[in-house]
Amino acid sequence: MNQRHIQHLYLRAGFGLGYNQLKDLIYKSKHEIVSNLFLEAETFQPLELDLSEFDYILNSDSMKLFMGMDRMKLQALNKKSRKKVVELNYAWINRMKNPKSTLNEKMTLFWANVFVCKDNTIWHIQEYNNTLRKHALGNFRDFVKAIAKAPSMSKYLNNRQNIKGSPNENFARELMELFTLGVGNYTEQDIKESARAFTGWSFKKDGTFFLRRNKHDFGEKTFFGETGNFDGDDIIDIILEQRQCAKFICSKIYTYFVNPVINEAKLEELTTIFYKDYDIKNLMQHILNSDWFYDEENIGVKIKSPIELLVGIQKTVPVKFLVKKQLLYLQKMMGQILLDPPNVAGWKGDKSWIDSNTLMFRLKLPSLILNDAVINLEEKGTFKDTFEDYYNKEKNRRRFIKTEKSWDVFNKEYEKITPEELKKILVISTIDLDTSAMLYNLKIENNKDFCIQLMSIPEYQLC
Amino acid sequence: MLINLFMERRHFLKQSTLASCLFFVPDFVKAFESVTKDALGYKKLVIIQLSGGNDGLNTVIPFKNDVYYKNRPSISIPESTIIKLTDELGFNENLRPLKNLYDKGYLSIINNVGYPNPDRSHFRSTDIWQTASNSNEYLDTGWLGRYIEAYGKTPYSGIELDDSLSLVMKGKTMNGIATKNPKVLYSNMQTPYFKKVLEQQTDAHLSEHNLGYLYKTMIEAKSSAKYIYETSNTYSSKQEYPNNPFGKQLKTTAEFINSHLSSKVYYVSMGGFDTHANQENRQKRLLNTYSESMEVFVKDLEQNDTFKDTLILTFSEFGRRLKQNAAAGTDHGAANNVFIIGKHLNKQGFYNEAPDLLNLDDNRDIKHTIDFRSIYATILDKWLKVNDERILNKSFSKLNFIV
Repeated sequence: MNQRHIQHLYLRAGFGLGYNQLKDLIYKSKHEIVSNLFLEAETFQPLELDLSEFDYILNSDSMKLFMGMDRMKLQALNKKSRKKVVELNYAWINRMKNPKSTLNEKMTLFWANVFVCKDNTIWHIQEYNNTLRKHALGNFRDFVKAIAKAPSMSKYLNNRQNIKGSPNENFARELMELFTLGVGNYTEQDIKESARAFTGWSFKKDGTFFLRRNKHDFGEKTFFGETGNFDGDDIIDIILEQRQCAKFICSKIYTYFVNPVINEAKLEELTTIFYKDYDIKNLMQHILNSDWFYDEENIGVKIKSPIELLVGIQKTVPVKFLVKKQLLYLQKMMGQILLDPPNVAGWKGDKSWIDSNTLMFRLKLPSLILNDAVINLEEKGTFKDTFEDYYNKEKNRRRFIKTEKSWDVFNKEYEKITPEELKKILVISTIDLDTSAMLYNLKIENNKDFCIQLMSIPEYQLC
Repeated sequence: MLINLFMERRHFLKQSTLASCLFFVPDFVKAFESVTKDALGYKKLVIIQLSGGNDGLNTVIPFKNDVYYKNRPSISIPESTIIKLTDELGFNENLRPLKNLYDKGYLSIINNVGYPNPDRSHFRSTDIWQTASNSNEYLDTGWLGRYIEAYGKTPYSGIELDDSLSLVMKGKTMNGIATKNPKVLYSNMQTPYFKKVLEQQTDAHLSEHNLGYLYKTMIEAKSSAKYIYETSNTYSSKQEYPNNPFGKQLKTTAEFINSHLSSKVYYVSMGGFDTHANQENRQKRLLNTYSESMEVFVKDLEQNDTFKDTLILTFSEFGRRLKQNAAAGTDHGAANNVFIIGKHLNKQGFYNEAPDLLNLDDNRDIKHTIDFRSIYATILDKWLKVNDERILNKSFSKLNFIV
């Protein structure tokens, strides 16, 4: 397989790859390389923090426990939990830098922006995150059903407030609008009827699903022209009978993995495959093995998400963040904080990552984390902040991101290669003619400096 | 004479800025530099978000209403301290500077502003106000972003007084620009390496694809930063603003407006209003900070004869619950009051009726009688003189708070 195609594959199905790995793969066939990506994905590797400090909650009678807690204690517990969610954010980013299965992690990141969810209860959101990971290449039907029963989702879209006689339609609406069919492909009546089918869906303290029978509406519902005593699982089955569901998911897959501009013929091809059995792995195998995936028009045309950018840089030069909080600051300034989506519609992606401010920040990111550059921009305060805290971030003027860079690792891998080769491996997009001329005239001292320079041109923003 | 000299100097500066860029600025950038000034008139809009959800009932107090006092046994404002405006409504005593504006006829208060099926999450409700969407609709562009995209054509048509841009200023392929400090913005864009990349750049081959979009954004960002810095540099405010970050944001805004920057819309958020606990003292200080700064801001604009062309809208993403909570605070509510400040108000003082505290919604919150998008539609149509339906994606009935 040629170098450019391997790089393209690894940028889309993962977060890029280093020179050594590339040299190992170059003699292998496409079939071999792609198969290996799926082979790696076979073992489930959950992402787990040490949550033993919360064990006492799971091991005790929760009613008694929470009743016995005063406001202060409860607040302290919430604070602890939120802190752990931030730790999960760091752990997730760290995982993406060097995963055992690069494809599975990329799929997990993708699904997190389809089944968008947010929860400050760490033991629920960690489980949710691993549910994404577990089903990332599995069967879409099982996946949707698992999501619908997950405690974090249940809370996020108010499904626990959805009870017989007084349905809350939030989950039913987003299930169709954002998770499966897309806006306009169902009626308001479909929402009303399906919301009834999800009434009484709840979860036990350990997170397992249970039906509050007295809150569930066992009556007859009419949904997409079918009438029956449907429960939530039946509703999901009926949704998946709609070809539109397969098409909706395939269009998300296409714009994420192939090209931000949809090719209708290709979308049709994918929809037909996916609609047969909703097997995500089959679909992805078809895409990554196809010839058209490697067409020039699909290479280097996607704008990296802030996370792809941040992880990508660290795949070339390993970096350790000495002040963890600064990792959060970087995500905030670029507009993507993992586990903290703006709303249930998630991040729009592509061009919407870019405005004057984020682009300048993104272009400066390599110098910030690799070259001790200083930045004097502040993050926005939060809604919960007091007036003083809201603006307190001012104290961090002239920010300096404290990192430990493993240039020795970089040098071992890249010192000996020519600048031309380095350019080829770092930048996949065609380079603008004028910038190309600029690079040509640049006096290159060493590959370390050249690496930072290459990462600072607009082309590096693409993958 | 002095004024003439000043005007000439400013004119000269603008000209020379333009001239010095000509060597490497691509055609489309040159084209946009001349658009706003001429085509869009000179009306400015300043929007202030009281972020966190300001308690409107303790801001403009219904001091004759027993329901208000019954629901707030420990945090209601005693009648004796209230600055009375009508025989039923009055200001919190910390709004004295705002009362001065009220007396001059510069303030219009619109009560009960909100939207159907109100959302009580800060994030979501702010999104709704910023995108002008329905409460069950997710839009990925802000209403000011759409205005900038349709009519402004340059990032600096809209400036947010912050270091990162909110959804409100985001369009599809054109966005506003965020800056708290034009000098910092300028120097961030001036690093030698970026200069090198851009100096060589000609736009002849830039495509509409993503790479072209990146270069275009980069060039526009640099050009905007330069324009904002060099123009605002010609004027420095002589007013003494309260020494706090909000005062500073307003001072910078006044410098932008008074230096005749061609930007049309400004967005400022002031934080701290999420008063779930011990509300009384916290809100006092906030209202004091807000109103003191506003009074100086208006004075600054008046002295430079720009107040007549500036309209200021103050809102919060939601109001707070009528009934106080156990922590001497209030929880998230629904409809709230909105302040309009300007010289050309049609209806000075109160625009409409006081909140009806006996007719609350299912959450026991104030019901809205005016959709916030009617306010936007009115501003777009009557003040900025553009097609409001094009920006808001549908038609909203217009109000008559401005001439």
